[in-house]
Amino acid sequence: MIREFGTGDIVYLVFAARWTLALTALAFTGGACVGLVLAVMRISSLAHVRILASCYIQIVQGTPLLVWLFLFYFGLSIAGLPVNAWTAAAFAYSIYGGAFLGEIWRGALIAVAPTQWEAGASLGLTYVQQMRHIIMPQAVRIATPPTIGFLVQLIKNTSLAATIGFVELTREGQLTSASTYKPFAVYMTVACIYFLICFPLTQWSRRLEERFNVAR
Amino acid sequence: MKYGLQFRDVFAAWEFLLDGLVLTLALSVATMVLGFFLGLACACAKTYGGVRFKQGVTVYIETIRNTPLLVQIFLLYFGLPSLGLRLEGFDAALIALVINLGAYSTEIIRAGLEAIPKSQIEAGQSLGLTPWQIFRYIIVFPALKAMYPALSSQFILLMLATSVVSQISVQDLFHVGSIIQSRTFRDFEVYTVIGGIYLALAFMMRGVFAVIYRQVFAR
Amino acid sequence: MSRVELINVSKYYGPLRVLDDVSLSIETGEVIAIIGRSGSGKSTLLRCLNGLEPIQTGEILIDGVKVNDPDTDLRKLRQNVGIVFQSFNLFPHLSVSDNITLAPRLVLKQGPDQARKLAADVLARVGLADKIDAMPQQLSGGQQQRVAIARSLAMNPQLMLFDEVTSALDPELTGEVLRVLEGVAREGMTMILVTHEMGFARHFATRIVFMHEGKVWEQGPVADTLSHPQTAELKSFLDAVLN
Repeated sequence: MIREFGTGDIVYLVFAARWTLALTALAFTGGACVGLVLAVMRISSLAHVRILASCYIQIVQGTPLLVWLFLFYFGLSIAGLPVNAWTAAAFAYSIYGGAFLGEIWRGALIAVAPTQWEAGASLGLTYVQQMRHIIMPQAVRIATPPTIGFLVQLIKNTSLAATIGFVELTREGQLTSASTYKPFAVYMTVACIYFLICFPLTQWSRRLEERFNVAR
Repeated sequence: MKYGLQFRDVFAAWEFLLDGLVLTLALSVATMVLGFFLGLACACAKTYGGVRFKQGVTVYIETIRNTPLLVQIFLLYFGLPSLGLRLEGFDAALIALVINLGAYSTEIIRAGLEAIPKSQIEAGQSLGLTPWQIFRYIIVFPALKAMYPALSSQFILLMLATSVVSQISVQDLFHVGSIIQSRTFRDFEVYTVIGGIYLALAFMMRGVFAVIYRQVFAR
Repeated sequence: MSRVELINVSKYYGPLRVLDDVSLSIETGEVIAIIGRSGSGKSTLLRCLNGLEPIQTGEILIDGVKVNDPDTDLRKLRQNVGIVFQSFNLFPHLSVSDNITLAPRLVLKQGPDQARKLAADVLARVGLADKIDAMPQQLSGGQQQRVAIARSLAMNPQLMLFDEVTSALDPELTGEVLRVLEGVAREGMTMILVTHEMGFARHFATRIVFMHEGKVWEQGPVADTLSHPQTAELKSFLDAVLN
């Protein structure tokens, strides 16, 4: 049954964006945990810890996100877990996002001048104390603009979850397009919604970057 | 429930995989070349052009960078026919990828062009060279060297992103994977192999780019 | 007709007057040393002479050609005006030979063999004949600056401008550059140098121009002006510099 594409559909699509945002939040949380561990591993003084983290990042960054989505989607059944788009997506995006966030945050950690570490050490602070009070605060400021930039990437990447049947904005777009036979209008609407979410974040990231560069 | 991993069925379809691989490579290389020139044109427009050009390019870049590639491809492949323009899968994929890469390349290329110190340009001007001569002999080579690392990373990301075209039934490596999966039901094995091939491709590309850099830029 | 004429030249950025009603006349064969504190406008003056910087009022004439006229073909003018910068500005991706032959080939339309011979000649004049195929990064600062001078000389200019060409060099390396400048001066080149090198000025300049707050504060023959400064500002400047 073919429907007309009307304002009702537009509103419906806008609300579908909440699943996109929910998945983004989930993905970012998972990715952040993995990324933090990776970043710290990458600056470890132990060579094999660094190499392990490096291998992980190389492998994940060298394979398409689609592969991870499909691997986890089908892999879940092998592990005996119920096949579930949410779970597969959560794992896939955490693994994928962790690699990229790990790189960004490692960059931020090493951007903090080594002299800061020396100052902390000379004051008798432990590694954890140096991290917590001296390095992390500075690293967080450096990391914020690119992290927001990555968040934008993540929001766009959630569109791929549609391929494993996850119902978010793009998937709803596909379904709406199928029932209204107005693909151009539907996908333009979908694109606009993504744009309205991503563009302000991109601009914010740029402003922060400028402000940070001025402060330096 | 014990599930034995069986890669045999996947490897048996190696010719099919090769076809997909070739298409992925062809699509990637074509996109890189066309996308680079699109990016170069836009970067020059933004650096040397008037206000109208600058604004136009900015609108283009911001639109592409703030919307997902998948949606861009769907628009071209599913959306355009309702406006009267029907594109083949490969064509729609190529156009979408080129437009996408062009937007990301513009910034990278522009950064390379602007990395040339003004003093170099002044030296060229003081010797009586024309603007074109200055661009060709003084700017181009150092700019290419400056933009090379970021651009080669972007190219590798692009190659991985071509997997998205599988969603409009273009028979790239990933799509071939889905077909093998639907025939053999070896889901996990198939995608592990596919992932491995992409990984190998990415490493190879990185190696090739490194060799090119050494040969051309590091004397 | 003077080689170079500045007539009531002014340049300002908003309220800041970088050049304030500067008038100056330079004859062929003169070697002018422009001295003054940083911010006095001396480098800006030089950069205005070959059109790298625009002026707001006044006229600059080189061999009767108005530099600041929009109709003037600046490229043609610049073939006759050589400039050497403080930071050498050699093209890092080109060899010494390519650096020197680039303009003769592209602008003067010389053939590659002719241009290379020209490069060999000017390199011999600056004492670096053996470095013809080296890359700039392989040379010391003093050598790079001498190549920069050779690059300008290759265009056979009628006038050469030097913007603090020894300021970026380690002290041991300034000597070799100054010797090259002496050679160029001896050949009768019209030279305008912005410099701190009082020794060079004393021996090879024909006139000293002291700039202060964007104006030509005092000028005159080298020996007289340096030993008997007329204005208080020049006196205190010389005291500070020479001690």
